[in-house]
Amino acid sequence: MAQVITITSGKGGVGKTTTTANLATSLAMQGQRVVAIDADIGLRNLDVVMGLENRIVYDLVDVVEGRCRTRQALIKDKRFPDNLFLLPAAQTRDKDAVTPDDMIALCNELRREFDFILIDSPAGIEGGFKNAIAPADHILIVTTPEMSAVRDADRIVGLVEAYEKSNPKLIINRIKARMVARGDMMDTPDVVEILAIDLIGIVPDDESIVVSTNRGEVAVLDRDSMAGKAYNNIANRLLGHDIPFLVLDEKQGLWAQLVSMFRTRR
Amino acid sequence: MRDMEERITLKGSRDGLRLILHPTAAWEEVLEALRKQLAQGSSFYHGAKLLIDVGERSITDVELQAILAIMAEHDIEPAALITIAPTNRTTGRQAGVETRHPDSLRSTPPPVVQGEGLFLWRTVRSGQAIKHQGHVVVVGDVNAGAEISAHGSIIIWGRLRGSVHAGVGGNQQAIVCALELSPTLLRIADNLARTPDNHRPTGPEQASLDGDNIVVVPWDAPRR
Repeated sequence: MAQVITITSGKGGVGKTTTTANLATSLAMQGQRVVAIDADIGLRNLDVVMGLENRIVYDLVDVVEGRCRTRQALIKDKRFPDNLFLLPAAQTRDKDAVTPDDMIALCNELRREFDFILIDSPAGIEGGFKNAIAPADHILIVTTPEMSAVRDADRIVGLVEAYEKSNPKLIINRIKARMVARGDMMDTPDVVEILAIDLIGIVPDDESIVVSTNRGEVAVLDRDSMAGKAYNNIANRLLGHDIPFLVLDEKQGLWAQLVSMFRTRR
Repeated sequence: MRDMEERITLKGSRDGLRLILHPTAAWEEVLEALRKQLAQGSSFYHGAKLLIDVGERSITDVELQAILAIMAEHDIEPAALITIAPTNRTTGRQAGVETRHPDSLRSTPPPVVQGEGLFLWRTVRSGQAIKHQGHVVVVGDVNAGAEISAHGSIIIWGRLRGSVHAGVGGNQQAIVCALELSPTLLRIADNLARTPDNHRPTGPEQASLDGDNIVVVPWDAPRR
């Protein structure tokens, strides 16, 4: 039976879709059977980030409205054709085409065949957000270390509580170690202190993400990407492994990171 | 006549006693059902406050007045008008009844203990509104974007960054205190203050009224 994990944030542009694509791919790399659902109907992106844009025939709304079987709408990922699938959003409809009950029914159908169902939520707190969290067993809240994003994340935590979903986990994305070191950016503890929820991952700001996103490749497949490494760590934590958090300092690059990890352990 | 009772539904909810009107039933039948229901349990409802939930139905001034009149006969006060239709907001305002969207009820989790004081042991987050007729005590932070209003005083055992209104209704004795007092907006009775931009609280502080001014002093109880 699959776990349904919804990735949400409140604010737009903080990296929900990138996070969804990377976690889905990382879990698939470890042999998990994964389906990623794009719940951002009308503004779909997940297909682009995963590089599957040109394979869409049917979408989420087609499934919900019964124009095709669920199986027909699932797109095989080119790199993991056996165990990574995407259910894309419709581009020509809007959020009202789907209800929270539709999402619950859809996920219940998919649960039997998969280990993980990741749902990429739209920004905002309206209908699309409600659709995305309705079937969730677990919720990951993505924020960047900026006051406006943290404020929105706080609102989301409140709503998640109101919908009686327990223990949302926090991902802090796009941390710039240099700026934190200079005191120009909020640090991880500052964000955690405000939101008062458990942290499941910190992802450094990484220019390679922009490149990989544009190419429809994902960072977790790039051995040199720090962000990719961070996402792999989060995927491992989702699988129940106890992985230490990355130590981010101003010396970017894997070698410096590894060295400093050894230093802090001693 | 059997379905008469379904024209209205009265039920207890987290937010209080809720009167739900059937969305499409004829208005006269709704009123009739309400009259009957209240007549049956007259003493039970006496002095109660009711949330009037009209759902998607849009109601006129006259219709709202009719409901309020029936409620008044039994000494029942309206707590709020719960409605989705924006036109009802104007109607409610004109009748002096607060209007709320149904979602606002869900976004406020239930209080732990309710009595003269309201005790909350959690983080009050952006978008959450706590309203209480007594004192409010929060063990936890009140984040920016949260709102607390109380007829009495407001005590925050944590960081206060949201907006607070103590002494709602004109209680000049009400105070606000917090371990870190930096609210976006602070009101006591009818007076209002904003945290200065350069304010960095170094310890617990207490705000109270001195005439028409809100004064904030460090909390150093032993020296009092």
